[in-house]
Amino acid sequence: MTVLASVSLATFLVTGLAATQFRSQPLASSNRLARDEALRQSVNQLEDQNRALKARVQALQAEVKAGEDESARRSSAVQQVKALLDEQKAIAGLTALHGPGLTIVLRDGVDPNDPADRSLGWTIHYQDLQDIVSLLWASGAEAVAVNGQRVVPSTSFHYAGVNILINNANRLTSPYTVTALGDPSTLANGVGDPDQLAELKSRNRIYRLGLSWLRSTRLSVPAYDTTFLVKSAQPLG
Amino acid sequence: MVVSLIGLALGFLVVVQLRSQAAVARTLASQDNTSVALLINDLNRANNQLIQQAAALSLQETQLRQALTAGGADAQTISKELQTLRAVTGAVPVHGPGLQIRIMGPIMDFELQDLLNSLRAAGGEAFSLNGSRMIGSTPIASRGNTLMIGGHAVSAPLVLLVIGDPEQLEPAADLSASSLQTRVQVDIQRKSDITITEVISARPLIYAQLGR
Repeated sequence: MTVLASVSLATFLVTGLAATQFRSQPLASSNRLARDEALRQSVNQLEDQNRALKARVQALQAEVKAGEDESARRSSAVQQVKALLDEQKAIAGLTALHGPGLTIVLRDGVDPNDPADRSLGWTIHYQDLQDIVSLLWASGAEAVAVNGQRVVPSTSFHYAGVNILINNANRLTSPYTVTALGDPSTLANGVGDPDQLAELKSRNRIYRLGLSWLRSTRLSVPAYDTTFLVKSAQPLG
Repeated sequence: MVVSLIGLALGFLVVVQLRSQAAVARTLASQDNTSVALLINDLNRANNQLIQQAAALSLQETQLRQALTAGGADAQTISKELQTLRAVTGAVPVHGPGLQIRIMGPIMDFELQDLLNSLRAAGGEAFSLNGSRMIGSTPIASRGNTLMIGGHAVSAPLVLLVIGDPEQLEPAADLSASSLQTRVQVDIQRKSDITITEVISARPLIYAQLGR
């Protein structure tokens, strides 16, 4: 009962606190509130649209694949091209893969609320993820995914405000899991090298980012969830 | 006893829910409007790309179907997709508009990664550095002051070629250059046609196997 009482009390306090905090904010004009709300609704709508478009792209990819499979059954010449195509799809990240590897996890820490510390060292930045992925490639990774998003040749990490985006405006949020397929020992040695990710490791000690890594005998990475558009780079010959 | 257990479970549920709401709040509801506006901008851009992807796939599907209906097989459509993927994976020489970025002094691995990352975000499609083709998985590392690309040392001046829409690439290159320019001179030139002849042979999959 004591536990229950303290849980309810905590709930009550948190709710009360939230309400107080809300009230103590300067009174905004209703226009301003409506505008803020509209902006956030736009994000929700665009993210819904984004999911629907990805589903449409995936359905079309399946139809194209069915057409290609059927074409390959009709002609041996097409079958040869199709074999090369399947090979390139695997290289480009359009195929799910599994095997041994390494999983790295980390998360946003807690804001120290220290006026003398404005470094934002307690949050994970897109550069941290980019550095981890680069290190994994340099340590012999054969495939990499971040929070279930496959890292492909067109992948970039960047900020849109405070949001970390990857692959078609996918918003990454804490906790972050980076999965790499390859020799678990080589990958772990790469990540464990004290000269690598030195700044992140030091922030991990100060802000408790929960940085850790684990070798596994069987991991899987998903296929890239859409396809590639090449507009400018024309193949020669 | 049972009642208090249920109560405890409910209380726990409430707390968990509160926590997860707080996490969601941190990511969207409590963001400043500038962040939200930038996110909207990126979502619009990504959704437009997805619409274009769907249109391209739809065309490809129609062409394959037409050939099948006519009793044949459309090898050309499949070859075209193969060539596109080879351009993406760096397996064929490519040409197109883009930028030539000359960096007149040594830079660190992460500085090159930042530059490549921003150019990729701005639609960079093919890259080469001092005659080496680069894709996302090409290992970049600093050994002391030496920059290693795919295990080979490269030294200044660095000439980075990137193929993509120069209108979009240039602002990204300018931004990266502005942070480098405190130390090294960076020269950015638009080019109407850049040729990247170097290719990459794919690393064989030794540990990874097909399928989930």
